[in-house]
Amino acid sequence: MSEADWALLLTGLACLALRLAGVLLAGRLRADHPFIAWAASVAQATLAAFVALAVVAPSGALAALPLHARLIGLAVGVVAFFALRERLLPALAIGLLAVILVR
Amino acid sequence: MHPAAILGVRAALAAPAIAMGATFLAFGAAVREAGLSAGWALACAWAIYGMPGQLVVLQSASTGGGVFATVVGAVAVNARFLPMSVALTPWLRRHERDARPLLLAHFISITTWAAAMRVLPGQPVPARLPWFAGFCAGAFLIAGGCAVAGHVLAGEMPAALRTALVFANPLYFALLMAADLTRPGPRRALLAGAAAAPLALVLPPAWGLLAAGVIGGTVAFLIGRRRG
Repeated sequence: MSEADWALLLTGLACLALRLAGVLLAGRLRADHPFIAWAASVAQATLAAFVALAVVAPSGALAALPLHARLIGLAVGVVAFFALRERLLPALAIGLLAVILVR
Repeated sequence: MHPAAILGVRAALAAPAIAMGATFLAFGAAVREAGLSAGWALACAWAIYGMPGQLVVLQSASTGGGVFATVVGAVAVNARFLPMSVALTPWLRRHERDARPLLLAHFISITTWAAAMRVLPGQPVPARLPWFAGFCAGAFLIAGGCAVAGHVLAGEMPAALRTALVFANPLYFALLMAADLTRPGPRRALLAGAAAAPLALVLPPAWGLLAAGVIGGTVAFLIGRRRG
């Protein structure tokens, strides 16, 4: 196995461990328990931070797109999402089209 | 099969999973550009099943990042799986000692989590786990199929489309969250997380995102409690 294969295998196992740990930590708690509410809050905040970083300060292939294209793509996509009564697919397509047009 | 499972599969074959599929198409194409096989693309998509972590592993596979640093980095960007699983589990259990959610733990991803958190609270308890199982099966197959298709089609895609697909993943996550901006609890968490994001720029890359999520999420949670 190459290094890439090992990294893939170990990351997969670690991600599975995180998911199993989450299910076990939830234990018998009900959905309205403060610990469950806190976990949901952290999950959402992490996701928001991930998107903010991907748009404003990305690494990898995303960094090849200019900042204005990323900002305009995000803004157009979100505006289209609400203008189209929260329809995900057309909003995604319109946002990506905007990226292509302004890059 | 429970009728709710069929409904779950059908829900997965709709907009959210198609949008998710676009990001896996881009991933498959990127794997091919890195000189790795279609089988590797499928293994990565199915074994990790979380796009940010997949991209870290792919990037290090093409640049040679070292196994330990790669795993730490990939796990850190996918660390939200832990709080996501905690938050979802109460909606999957049929009774207090129900262990079946463990069987579905691997399929908890942003797509399946966001759909489940919206749909499951409105479902009768016995229908919840079957619905989620059906949705996960549909989403998992779409993800794998699209990763392989992206690898096969990589050469055929026009440059403009490839550029757009690179942005599909963050935009897709952003739109999934945008739907939550109308509810006060999630809105607080999302805004606090975005506000805490600059922390990730000053802390070591592996832990920055994690710190931003924990700090932003905790602040939003405390504000929510104070407001009752």
